[in-house]
Amino acid sequence: MQIYLPIAEISVNVFLLLGLGAGVGFLSGMFGVGGGFLMTPLLFFIGIPPAVAVSTEANQIVASSASGALAHWRRRTLDAKMGGLLLVGGASGSIFGVQLFAFLRSLGQIDLIISLSYVGFLGIVGGLMFFESARAIWRRSRGDQRRSGVGTGRRKRGWIDRLPFKMRFPTSGLYISVIPPVVIGFFVGTLAAIMGVGGGFVMVPAMIYILRMPTNVVVGTSLFQILFVTALTTVLQAGQNQTVDIVLAMLLTVGGVVGAQFGARAGRHIKAEELRALLAFMVVAVCLKLGWDLVVTPADLFEVLGQDGSAH
Amino acid sequence: MIGALLLSFLMQGQPTLLTTEPPSIVAALTHETVEIREDFSGQDLVLYGATRGLTIQDEIVVVLRGPGRDLRVMEKQRTFGIWVNSAPLEFEDIPSYYAIATSLPLEDIATPESLAGSGIGLPATLAIRAAPTASETGRDIRPYLDAIARDGRRDDLYAEAQRGVEILDGGLFRATISLPPLTPVGNYVAEVYLFRDGRAVASRTASLRVEKAGLERFVYQFAHSMPWLYGLFCVAMAVLAGYVAYVAFNRR
Repeated sequence: MQIYLPIAEISVNVFLLLGLGAGVGFLSGMFGVGGGFLMTPLLFFIGIPPAVAVSTEANQIVASSASGALAHWRRRTLDAKMGGLLLVGGASGSIFGVQLFAFLRSLGQIDLIISLSYVGFLGIVGGLMFFESARAIWRRSRGDQRRSGVGTGRRKRGWIDRLPFKMRFPTSGLYISVIPPVVIGFFVGTLAAIMGVGGGFVMVPAMIYILRMPTNVVVGTSLFQILFVTALTTVLQAGQNQTVDIVLAMLLTVGGVVGAQFGARAGRHIKAEELRALLAFMVVAVCLKLGWDLVVTPADLFEVLGQDGSAH
Repeated sequence: MIGALLLSFLMQGQPTLLTTEPPSIVAALTHETVEIREDFSGQDLVLYGATRGLTIQDEIVVVLRGPGRDLRVMEKQRTFGIWVNSAPLEFEDIPSYYAIATSLPLEDIATPESLAGSGIGLPATLAIRAAPTASETGRDIRPYLDAIARDGRRDDLYAEAQRGVEILDGGLFRATISLPPLTPVGNYVAEVYLFRDGRAVASRTASLRVEKAGLERFVYQFAHSMPWLYGLFCVAMAVLAGYVAYVAFNRR
Protein backbone atom coordinates (compact mmCIF):
# COMPACT_ATOMS: atom_id res chain seq x y z
CA MET A 1 0.00 0.00 0.00
CA GLN A 2 1.57 3.23 -1.18
CA ILE A 3 1.21 6.50 0.66
CA TYR A 4 2.10 9.88 -0.76
CA LEU A 5 4.02 11.94 1.79
CA PRO A 6 2.82 15.56 1.68
CA ILE A 7 6.12 17.30 2.49
CA ALA A 8 8.66 14.79 1.18
CA GLU A 9 6.50 14.72 -1.99
CA ILE A 10 7.19 11.12 -2.82
CA SER A 11 5.13 7.98 -2.72
CA VAL A 12 6.39 5.29 -0.33
CA ASN A 13 5.06 1.95 0.83
CA VAL A 14 3.35 2.28 4.22
CA PHE A 15 4.57 -1.11 5.38
CA LEU A 16 8.15 -0.24 4.46
CA LEU A 17 7.93 2.82 6.73
CA LEU A 18 6.24 0.91 9.56
CA GLY A 19 8.82 -1.84 9.14
CA LEU A 20 11.74 0.59 9.19
CA GLY A 21 10.27 2.20 12.31
CA ALA A 22 9.82 -1.19 13.97
CA GLY A 23 13.27 -2.47 12.97
CA VAL A 24 15.14 0.60 14.14
CA GLY A 25 12.84 0.77 17.20
CA PHE A 26 13.72 -2.83 18.03
CA LEU A 27 17.45 -2.09 17.87
CA SER A 28 17.08 1.13 19.83
CA GLY A 29 15.04 -0.65 22.50
CA MET A 30 17.60 -3.44 22.66
CA PHE A 31 20.64 -1.19 22.87
CA GLY A 32 19.05 1.74 24.66
CA VAL A 33 19.99 4.21 21.95
CA GLY A 34 17.78 6.66 20.08
CA GLY A 35 18.25 5.11 16.67
CA GLY A 36 18.40 8.42 14.81
CA PHE A 37 21.86 7.58 13.53
CA LEU A 38 20.40 4.49 11.82
CA MET A 39 17.05 5.90 10.74
CA THR A 40 18.27 9.07 9.04
CA PRO A 41 20.69 7.25 6.65
CA LEU A 42 17.98 4.64 5.98
CA LEU A 43 15.57 7.43 5.03
CA PHE A 44 18.21 8.76 2.60
CA PHE A 45 18.55 5.29 1.09
CA ILE A 46 14.79 4.98 0.41
CA GLY A 47 14.80 8.34 -1.37
CA ILE A 48 13.49 10.80 1.21
CA PRO A 49 15.15 14.18 0.48
CA PRO A 50 17.95 14.68 3.08
CA ALA A 51 16.52 17.94 4.37
CA VAL A 52 13.15 16.29 5.03
CA ALA A 53 14.75 13.15 6.50
CA VAL A 54 16.83 15.11 9.02
CA SER A 55 13.99 17.37 10.17
CA THR A 56 11.40 14.60 10.31
CA GLU A 57 13.72 12.32 12.24
CA ALA A 58 14.12 15.06 14.86
CA ASN A 59 10.33 15.01 15.17
CA GLN A 60 10.28 11.25 15.62
CA ILE A 61 12.99 11.41 18.29
CA VAL A 62 10.73 13.80 20.25
CA ALA A 63 8.22 10.95 20.55
CA SER A 64 10.70 8.24 21.49
CA SER A 65 12.66 10.38 23.96
CA ALA A 66 9.41 11.66 25.53
CA SER A 67 8.31 8.19 26.60
CA GLY A 68 11.84 7.36 27.85
CA ALA A 69 12.26 10.65 29.69
CA LEU A 70 8.87 10.21 31.38
CA ALA A 71 9.90 6.80 32.69
CA HIS A 72 13.17 8.20 34.09
CA TRP A 73 11.36 11.21 35.54
CA ARG A 74 9.08 8.87 37.46
CA ARG A 75 12.00 6.82 38.74
CA ARG A 76 13.90 10.01 39.65
CA THR A 77 16.87 8.82 37.59
CA LEU A 78 17.22 12.20 35.93
CA ASP A 79 19.32 15.20 36.94
CA ALA A 80 17.00 18.05 35.93
CA LYS A 81 19.48 20.76 36.90
CA MET A 82 22.26 19.29 34.78
CA GLY A 83 19.70 18.58 32.04
CA GLY A 84 18.63 22.22 32.12
CA LEU A 85 22.20 23.40 31.72
CA LEU A 86 22.85 20.96 28.86
CA LEU A 87 19.63 22.26 27.37
CA VAL A 88 20.82 25.89 27.45
CA GLY A 89 23.80 24.81 25.36
CA GLY A 90 21.66 22.44 23.30
CA ALA A 91 19.10 25.09 22.38
CA SER A 92 21.78 27.49 21.13
CA GLY A 93 23.46 24.60 19.32
CA SER A 94 20.19 23.69 17.64
CA ILE A 95 19.53 27.28 16.51
CA PHE A 96 23.09 27.46 15.16
CA GLY A 97 22.78 24.04 13.53
CA VAL A 98 19.56 24.88 11.67
CA GLN A 99 21.19 28.05 10.26
CA LEU A 100 24.30 26.09 9.31
CA PHE A 101 22.11 23.47 7.65
CA ALA A 102 20.31 26.12 5.56
CA PHE A 103 23.65 27.72 4.62
CA LEU A 104 25.26 24.45 3.55
CA ARG A 105 22.14 23.55 1.61
CA SER A 106 22.40 26.83 -0.29
CA LEU A 107 25.98 25.88 -1.23
CA GLY A 108 24.83 22.46 -2.48
CA GLN A 109 27.11 20.72 -0.01
CA ILE A 110 24.65 19.52 2.62
CA ASP A 111 24.71 15.86 1.57
CA LEU A 112 28.48 15.78 1.77
CA ILE A 113 28.59 17.44 5.19
CA ILE A 114 25.92 15.07 6.54
CA SER A 115 27.84 12.06 5.24
CA LEU A 116 31.16 13.34 6.57
CA SER A 117 29.62 14.05 9.99
CA TYR A 118 28.21 10.55 10.09
CA VAL A 119 31.44 8.91 9.03
CA GLY A 120 33.45 10.95 11.54
CA PHE A 121 31.23 10.55 14.57
CA LEU A 122 30.08 7.00 13.97
CA GLY A 123 33.67 6.00 13.27
CA ILE A 124 35.01 7.51 16.48
CA VAL A 125 32.16 6.45 18.76
CA GLY A 126 31.77 3.01 17.19
CA GLY A 127 35.49 2.37 17.29
CA LEU A 128 35.83 3.41 20.93
CA MET A 129 32.81 1.36 21.95
CA PHE A 130 34.07 -1.62 20.05
CA PHE A 131 37.48 -1.64 21.73
CA GLU A 132 35.99 -0.93 25.14
CA SER A 133 33.50 -3.80 24.93
CA ALA A 134 36.01 -6.16 23.34
CA ARG A 135 38.34 -5.49 26.27
CA ALA A 136 35.50 -6.09 28.74
CA ILE A 137 34.62 -9.40 27.08
CA TRP A 138 38.32 -10.39 27.00
CA ARG A 139 38.71 -9.59 30.70
CA ARG A 140 35.62 -11.50 31.68
CA SER A 141 36.73 -14.54 29.71
CA ARG A 142 40.03 -14.49 31.63
CA GLY A 143 38.09 -14.30 34.88
CA ASP A 144 39.57 -10.92 35.75
CA GLN A 145 37.36 -9.47 38.45
CA ARG A 146 38.95 -6.01 38.54
CA ARG A 147 36.23 -3.45 37.92
CA SER A 148 37.02 -0.80 35.40
CA GLY A 149 33.68 0.81 36.34
CA VAL A 150 33.25 4.45 35.64
CA GLY A 151 31.77 6.79 38.23
CA THR A 152 33.01 4.56 41.01
CA GLY A 153 36.15 5.29 42.96
CA ARG A 154 37.77 8.64 43.47
CA ARG A 155 38.01 11.05 40.62
CA LYS A 156 41.28 12.51 39.59
CA ARG A 157 41.41 16.27 39.51
CA GLY A 158 41.68 17.36 35.89
CA TRP A 159 41.40 20.47 33.78
CA ILE A 160 37.62 20.29 34.13
CA ASP A 161 37.91 21.06 37.83
CA ARG A 162 39.98 24.17 37.24
CA LEU A 163 37.31 25.94 35.18
CA PRO A 164 35.40 28.83 36.80
CA PHE A 165 31.62 29.28 37.43
CA LYS A 166 31.21 26.19 39.56
CA MET A 167 27.78 24.94 40.51
CA ARG A 168 26.44 22.19 42.72
CA PHE A 169 24.46 19.31 41.17
CA PRO A 170 22.91 17.46 44.11
CA THR A 171 21.29 14.66 42.08
CA SER A 172 24.58 13.75 40.40
CA GLY A 173 26.62 14.59 43.52
CA LEU A 174 28.88 16.89 41.49
CA TYR A 175 30.42 20.32 42.05
CA ILE A 176 31.73 21.40 38.65
CA SER A 177 31.97 24.36 36.32
CA VAL A 178 28.93 25.15 34.15
CA ILE A 179 31.14 25.56 31.07
CA PRO A 180 31.59 21.88 30.08
CA PRO A 181 27.85 21.00 30.20
CA VAL A 182 26.95 24.07 28.15
CA VAL A 183 29.68 23.34 25.59
CA ILE A 184 28.71 19.67 25.33
CA GLY A 185 25.04 20.66 25.03
CA PHE A 186 25.84 23.14 22.25
CA PHE A 187 27.87 20.57 20.35
CA VAL A 188 25.17 17.91 20.61
CA GLY A 189 22.45 20.44 19.68
CA THR A 190 24.36 21.32 16.50
CA LEU A 191 24.76 17.64 15.62
CA ALA A 192 21.04 17.06 16.20
CA ALA A 193 20.13 19.77 13.70
CA ILE A 194 22.61 18.73 11.02
CA MET A 195 22.55 14.96 11.31
CA GLY A 196 18.95 14.30 12.38
CA VAL A 197 20.01 12.42 15.48
CA GLY A 198 19.27 12.86 19.15
CA GLY A 199 22.96 12.80 19.90
CA GLY A 200 22.74 10.29 22.74
CA PHE A 201 25.69 8.42 21.28
CA VAL A 202 27.87 11.49 21.88
CA MET A 203 26.09 12.80 24.96
CA VAL A 204 26.18 9.62 27.05
CA PRO A 205 29.95 9.02 26.71
CA ALA A 206 30.58 12.75 27.26
CA MET A 207 28.54 12.70 30.47
CA ILE A 208 30.32 9.61 31.73
CA TYR A 209 33.89 10.37 30.74
CA ILE A 210 34.02 14.20 30.79
CA LEU A 211 31.41 15.28 33.36
CA ARG A 212 31.84 12.02 35.35
CA MET A 213 28.16 11.82 36.18
CA PRO A 214 26.92 8.70 37.97
CA THR A 215 25.77 6.17 35.36
CA ASN A 216 22.28 5.76 36.85
CA VAL A 217 21.25 9.33 35.91
CA VAL A 218 23.13 9.55 32.61
CA VAL A 219 20.51 8.00 30.33
CA GLY A 220 17.55 9.84 31.90
CA THR A 221 19.33 13.19 31.77
CA SER A 222 20.45 12.61 28.20
CA LEU A 223 16.86 11.77 27.17
CA PHE A 224 15.58 14.86 28.97
CA GLN A 225 17.98 17.09 27.05
CA ILE A 226 17.35 15.29 23.75
CA LEU A 227 13.57 15.67 24.15
CA PHE A 228 13.78 19.44 24.37
CA VAL A 229 16.52 19.93 21.81
CA THR A 230 14.78 17.80 19.16
CA ALA A 231 11.47 19.55 19.93
CA LEU A 232 13.15 22.90 19.32
CA THR A 233 14.88 21.58 16.20
CA THR A 234 11.53 20.33 14.86
CA VAL A 235 9.87 23.73 15.37
CA LEU A 236 12.83 25.59 13.84
CA GLN A 237 13.07 23.28 10.81
CA ALA A 238 9.30 23.47 10.28
CA GLY A 239 9.18 27.23 10.75
CA GLN A 240 12.23 28.10 8.71
CA ASN A 241 12.63 25.38 6.11
CA GLN A 242 9.18 23.68 5.95
CA THR A 243 10.86 20.29 5.92
CA VAL A 244 9.02 18.39 8.68
CA ASP A 245 6.74 15.68 7.28
CA ILE A 246 4.25 14.81 9.98
CA VAL A 247 2.80 11.85 8.08
CA LEU A 248 6.27 10.31 7.75
CA ALA A 249 7.09 11.08 11.39
CA MET A 250 3.88 9.49 12.68
CA LEU A 251 4.32 6.30 10.63
CA LEU A 252 7.90 5.90 11.85
CA THR A 253 6.78 6.62 15.41
CA VAL A 254 4.05 3.97 15.40
CA GLY A 255 6.49 1.34 14.14
CA GLY A 256 9.23 2.57 16.46
CA VAL A 257 7.16 2.49 19.63
CA VAL A 258 6.11 -1.12 19.09
CA GLY A 259 9.57 -2.23 17.95
CA ALA A 260 11.26 -0.64 20.95
CA GLN A 261 9.17 -2.68 23.39
CA PHE A 262 10.16 -5.96 21.77
CA GLY A 263 13.75 -4.79 21.50
CA ALA A 264 13.90 -3.94 25.21
CA ARG A 265 12.64 -7.43 26.04
CA ALA A 266 15.12 -9.09 23.69
CA GLY A 267 17.94 -6.99 25.15
CA ARG A 268 17.44 -8.42 28.61
CA HIS A 269 18.63 -11.83 27.43
CA ILE A 270 21.99 -10.59 26.17
CA LYS A 271 24.99 -9.66 28.30
CA ALA A 272 25.78 -5.95 28.53
CA GLU A 273 29.29 -6.20 27.00
CA GLU A 274 28.06 -8.32 24.13
CA LEU A 275 25.23 -5.90 23.56
CA ARG A 276 27.71 -3.02 23.43
CA ALA A 277 29.96 -4.93 21.05
CA LEU A 278 27.00 -5.62 18.76
CA LEU A 279 25.95 -1.99 18.85
CA ALA A 280 29.54 -0.92 18.12
CA PHE A 281 29.63 -3.33 15.21
CA MET A 282 26.42 -1.83 13.80
CA VAL A 283 27.64 1.73 14.25
CA VAL A 284 30.89 0.91 12.46
CA ALA A 285 28.97 -0.85 9.66
CA VAL A 286 26.82 2.25 8.99
CA CYS A 287 29.98 4.37 9.11
CA LEU A 288 31.79 2.15 6.60
CA LYS A 289 28.82 2.09 4.23
CA LEU A 290 28.56 5.89 4.23
CA GLY A 291 32.33 6.25 3.99
CA TRP A 292 32.45 3.86 1.03
CA ASP A 293 29.80 5.91 -0.77
CA LEU A 294 32.01 8.98 -0.39
CA VAL A 295 35.06 7.44 -2.07
CA VAL A 296 33.59 5.08 -4.65
CA THR A 297 33.12 6.62 -8.09
CA PRO A 298 29.44 7.63 -8.25
CA ALA A 299 27.14 6.22 -10.95
CA ASP A 300 26.43 9.73 -12.15
CA LEU A 301 29.19 12.32 -11.98
CA PHE A 302 26.67 15.14 -12.03
CA GLU A 303 24.15 16.08 -9.42
CA VAL A 304 20.96 17.98 -10.20
CA LEU A 305 19.77 20.08 -7.29
CA GLY A 306 16.73 22.26 -6.72
CA GLN A 307 17.32 25.96 -6.32
CA ASP A 308 17.37 25.55 -2.53
CA GLY A 309 20.26 23.11 -2.93
CA SER A 310 18.32 19.97 -2.12
CA ALA A 311 18.11 17.01 -4.42
CA HIS A 312 14.47 17.37 -5.39
CA MET B 1 -7.92 31.99 -48.10
CA ILE B 2 -7.37 30.48 -51.53
CA GLY B 3 -4.04 32.26 -51.69
CA ALA B 4 -2.97 30.79 -48.36
CA LEU B 5 -4.04 27.37 -49.54
CA LEU B 6 -2.08 27.73 -52.74
CA LEU B 7 0.91 29.01 -50.82
CA SER B 8 0.83 26.06 -48.48
CA PHE B 9 0.61 23.74 -51.48
CA LEU B 10 3.58 25.39 -53.08
CA MET B 11 5.63 25.30 -49.91
CA GLN B 12 4.94 21.63 -49.37
CA GLY B 13 6.36 20.94 -52.75
CA GLN B 14 4.31 17.84 -53.31
CA PRO B 15 0.64 18.69 -53.24
CA THR B 16 -1.52 15.83 -52.10
CA LEU B 17 -4.58 15.83 -54.22
CA LEU B 18 -6.66 14.04 -51.64
CA THR B 19 -6.54 16.93 -49.20
CA THR B 20 -8.81 19.76 -49.97
CA GLU B 21 -8.74 21.45 -46.58
CA PRO B 22 -5.89 23.03 -44.67
CA PRO B 23 -4.67 20.67 -41.94
CA SER B 24 -6.01 21.42 -38.48
CA ILE B 25 -6.01 19.59 -35.20
CA VAL B 26 -8.06 19.56 -32.02
CA ALA B 27 -7.30 17.73 -28.81
CA ALA B 28 -8.59 17.27 -25.27
CA LEU B 29 -7.28 15.53 -22.17
CA THR B 30 -9.42 13.10 -20.23
CA HIS B 31 -8.60 15.10 -17.10
CA GLU B 32 -8.38 18.83 -16.59
CA THR B 33 -6.98 18.40 -13.12
CA VAL B 34 -5.04 15.56 -11.55
CA GLU B 35 -5.37 15.33 -7.80
CA ILE B 36 -2.52 14.06 -5.70
CA ARG B 37 -4.03 12.34 -2.71
CA GLU B 38 -2.46 10.16 -0.04
CA ASP B 39 -2.79 7.08 -2.25
CA PHE B 40 -1.31 8.73 -5.37
CA SER B 41 1.21 6.49 -7.06
CA GLY B 42 1.09 7.85 -10.58
CA GLN B 43 -1.71 8.14 -13.08
CA ASP B 44 -2.30 7.58 -16.77
CA LEU B 45 -3.70 10.38 -18.85
CA VAL B 46 -5.32 9.96 -22.21
CA LEU B 47 -5.32 12.69 -24.79
CA TYR B 48 -7.90 12.39 -27.53
CA GLY B 49 -7.80 14.38 -30.68
CA ALA B 50 -9.12 14.79 -34.14
CA THR B 51 -7.45 16.11 -37.24
CA ARG B 52 -8.82 17.50 -40.39
CA GLY B 53 -6.96 16.85 -43.58
CA LEU B 54 -4.87 13.98 -42.23
CA THR B 55 -2.98 12.15 -44.91
CA ILE B 56 -1.10 8.91 -44.78
CA GLN B 57 2.27 10.65 -44.55
CA ASP B 58 1.21 12.81 -41.62
CA GLU B 59 2.42 12.12 -38.13
CA ILE B 60 1.29 13.35 -34.75
CA VAL B 61 3.45 14.47 -31.84
CA VAL B 62 2.06 15.04 -28.35
CA VAL B 63 4.10 16.86 -25.70
CA LEU B 64 3.13 17.26 -22.06
CA ARG B 65 5.26 19.80 -20.26
CA GLY B 66 5.26 20.41 -16.51
CA PRO B 67 5.89 23.65 -14.61
CA GLY B 68 9.35 25.16 -14.96
CA ARG B 69 11.76 25.28 -12.06
CA ASP B 70 15.23 26.62 -11.45
CA LEU B 71 17.99 24.07 -11.13
CA ARG B 72 21.57 23.97 -10.08
CA VAL B 73 23.70 21.24 -11.58
CA MET B 74 27.03 20.38 -10.01
CA GLU B 75 29.81 18.18 -11.24
CA LYS B 76 31.36 15.81 -8.75
CA GLN B 77 35.10 16.00 -8.55
CA ARG B 78 37.46 13.93 -6.49
CA THR B 79 39.03 16.04 -3.75
CA PHE B 80 41.28 14.39 -1.17
CA GLY B 81 39.88 11.02 -2.17
CA ILE B 82 36.20 11.89 -1.77
CA TRP B 83 33.71 13.10 -4.34
CA VAL B 84 32.73 16.71 -3.82
CA ASN B 85 30.10 18.71 -5.70
CA SER B 86 31.81 21.52 -7.55
CA ALA B 87 31.54 23.70 -10.66
CA PRO B 88 27.87 24.60 -10.23
CA LEU B 89 25.80 25.93 -13.11
CA GLU B 90 22.37 27.47 -12.64
CA PHE B 91 19.55 26.89 -15.09
CA GLU B 92 16.23 28.69 -15.13
CA ASP B 93 12.77 27.50 -16.03
CA ILE B 94 13.66 23.90 -16.84
CA PRO B 95 10.49 21.81 -17.22
CA SER B 96 10.00 19.61 -14.18
CA TYR B 97 8.14 17.13 -16.36
CA TYR B 98 8.46 16.43 -20.06
CA ALA B 99 6.77 13.60 -21.86
CA ILE B 100 6.56 13.14 -25.58
CA ALA B 101 4.42 10.63 -27.42
CA THR B 102 4.64 10.20 -31.17
CA SER B 103 3.05 8.16 -33.90
CA LEU B 104 6.50 7.22 -35.26
CA PRO B 105 9.96 7.44 -33.66
CA LEU B 106 10.67 11.18 -33.45
CA GLU B 107 13.81 10.98 -35.56
CA ASP B 108 11.74 9.54 -38.41
CA ILE B 109 9.23 12.38 -38.22
CA ALA B 110 11.54 15.36 -38.50
CA THR B 111 15.20 16.24 -38.62
CA PRO B 112 16.95 17.33 -35.42
CA GLU B 113 17.37 20.81 -36.94
CA SER B 114 13.67 21.15 -37.61
CA LEU B 115 12.83 19.94 -34.10
CA ALA B 116 15.37 22.29 -32.55
CA GLY B 117 13.85 25.18 -34.48
CA SER B 118 10.37 24.46 -33.20
CA GLY B 119 11.56 23.49 -29.71
CA ILE B 120 10.01 20.03 -29.82
CA GLY B 121 11.66 17.15 -28.00
CA LEU B 122 13.63 17.15 -24.79
CA PRO B 123 17.06 18.08 -26.22
CA ALA B 124 15.61 21.05 -28.09
CA THR B 125 13.59 22.19 -25.08
CA LEU B 126 16.56 21.98 -22.72
CA ALA B 127 18.84 23.73 -25.20
CA ILE B 128 16.43 26.65 -25.59
CA ARG B 129 15.90 27.05 -21.85
CA ALA B 130 19.61 26.78 -21.11
CA ALA B 131 20.67 29.31 -23.73
CA PRO B 132 20.97 32.22 -21.21
CA THR B 133 23.21 30.13 -18.96
CA ALA B 134 25.37 29.14 -21.88
CA SER B 135 25.85 32.70 -23.06
CA GLU B 136 26.48 34.08 -19.57
CA THR B 137 29.07 31.54 -18.51
CA GLY B 138 30.59 30.67 -21.86
CA ARG B 139 31.13 27.13 -20.64
CA ASP B 140 30.34 23.87 -22.36
CA ILE B 141 26.91 23.12 -20.95
CA ARG B 142 26.22 19.92 -22.87
CA PRO B 143 27.32 17.53 -20.09
CA TYR B 144 25.14 19.49 -17.68
CA LEU B 145 22.10 19.24 -19.93
CA ASP B 146 22.72 15.51 -20.35
CA ALA B 147 22.80 15.25 -16.56
CA ILE B 148 19.44 17.03 -16.29
CA ALA B 149 17.97 14.65 -18.88
CA ARG B 150 19.36 11.57 -17.06
CA ASP B 151 18.05 12.86 -13.74
CA GLY B 152 14.55 13.36 -15.13
CA ARG B 153 14.49 9.95 -16.82
CA ARG B 154 15.59 8.25 -13.61
CA ASP B 155 12.41 9.42 -11.90
CA ASP B 156 10.26 8.89 -15.04
CA LEU B 157 9.71 12.65 -15.16
CA TYR B 158 11.16 12.76 -18.65
CA ALA B 159 9.66 10.13 -20.85
CA GLU B 160 9.49 9.34 -24.51
CA ALA B 161 6.87 7.00 -25.96
CA GLN B 162 7.72 6.08 -29.53
CA ARG B 163 4.43 5.14 -31.16
CA GLY B 164 2.61 6.36 -28.03
CA VAL B 165 0.15 8.02 -30.37
CA GLU B 166 -2.38 5.71 -31.95
CA ILE B 167 -3.99 6.94 -35.13
CA LEU B 168 -7.56 5.73 -35.39
CA ASP B 169 -9.99 5.87 -38.26
CA GLY B 170 -11.46 9.11 -39.50
CA GLY B 171 -8.59 11.34 -38.49
CA LEU B 172 -8.97 10.54 -34.80
CA PHE B 173 -6.02 9.80 -32.59
CA ARG B 174 -5.30 8.89 -28.99
CA ALA B 175 -2.17 9.29 -26.87
CA THR B 176 -1.53 7.77 -23.47
CA ILE B 177 0.83 9.60 -21.13
CA SER B 178 1.69 8.40 -17.68
CA LEU B 179 2.37 10.65 -14.73
CA PRO B 180 4.88 9.01 -12.36
CA PRO B 181 4.62 8.93 -8.53
CA LEU B 182 7.01 11.89 -8.30
CA THR B 183 4.81 14.13 -10.49
CA PRO B 184 5.31 17.75 -9.37
CA VAL B 185 2.31 19.97 -8.75
CA GLY B 186 1.58 22.95 -10.96
CA ASN B 187 0.27 23.94 -14.36
CA TYR B 188 0.98 21.63 -17.26
CA VAL B 189 0.66 22.32 -20.96
CA ALA B 190 -0.15 19.67 -23.54
CA GLU B 191 0.91 20.53 -27.08
CA VAL B 192 -0.25 18.55 -30.05
CA TYR B 193 1.48 18.91 -33.41
CA LEU B 194 0.56 17.65 -36.82
CA PHE B 195 3.74 16.98 -38.78
CA ARG B 196 3.85 16.86 -42.55
CA ASP B 197 7.07 16.41 -44.46
CA GLY B 198 9.14 17.07 -41.38
CA ARG B 199 7.40 20.30 -40.44
CA ALA B 200 4.72 21.08 -37.90
CA VAL B 201 1.79 22.31 -39.97
CA ALA B 202 -0.82 22.57 -37.25
CA SER B 203 -0.78 22.62 -33.49
CA ARG B 204 -3.07 22.91 -30.52
CA THR B 205 -2.56 23.27 -26.79
CA ALA B 206 -4.56 22.06 -23.83
CA SER B 207 -3.89 22.68 -20.19
CA LEU B 208 -3.77 20.46 -17.16
CA ARG B 209 -3.43 21.23 -13.49
CA VAL B 210 -1.80 18.89 -11.01
CA GLU B 211 -2.64 19.71 -7.42
CA LYS B 212 -2.59 18.20 -4.00
CA ALA B 213 -5.98 17.28 -2.58
CA GLY B 214 -7.50 15.92 0.59
CA LEU B 215 -5.13 15.28 3.48
CA GLU B 216 -2.08 16.01 1.31
CA ARG B 217 -3.37 19.45 0.51
CA PHE B 218 -4.33 20.16 4.11
CA VAL B 219 -0.94 19.17 5.56
CA TYR B 220 1.01 20.93 2.82
CA GLN B 221 -0.94 24.16 3.21
CA PHE B 222 -0.73 24.01 6.99
CA ALA B 223 3.04 23.49 6.81
CA HIS B 224 3.51 26.37 4.38
CA SER B 225 0.97 28.94 5.52
CA MET B 226 1.52 28.61 9.28
CA PRO B 227 4.93 26.94 9.52
CA TRP B 228 5.65 27.78 13.18
CA LEU B 229 2.25 26.63 14.37
CA TYR B 230 2.67 23.49 12.26
CA GLY B 231 6.04 22.84 13.95
CA LEU B 232 4.45 23.17 17.38
CA PHE B 233 1.66 20.85 16.27
CA CYS B 234 4.22 18.23 15.11
CA VAL B 235 5.98 18.42 18.47
CA ALA B 236 2.67 18.16 20.35
CA MET B 237 1.71 15.07 18.33
CA ALA B 238 5.09 13.48 19.00
CA VAL B 239 4.91 14.18 22.74
CA LEU B 240 1.39 12.76 22.80
CA ALA B 241 2.57 9.63 20.97
CA GLY B 242 5.46 9.29 23.42
CA TYR B 243 3.09 9.69 26.37
CA VAL B 244 0.67 7.10 24.98
CA ALA B 245 3.57 4.69 24.50
CA TYR B 246 4.76 5.34 28.05
CA VAL B 247 1.31 4.73 29.53
CA ALA B 248 0.67 1.68 27.37
CA PHE B 249 3.96 -0.09 28.01
CA ASN B 250 5.25 1.10 31.37
CA ARG B 251 2.24 0.33 33.55
CA ARG B 252 3.16 -2.83 35.30
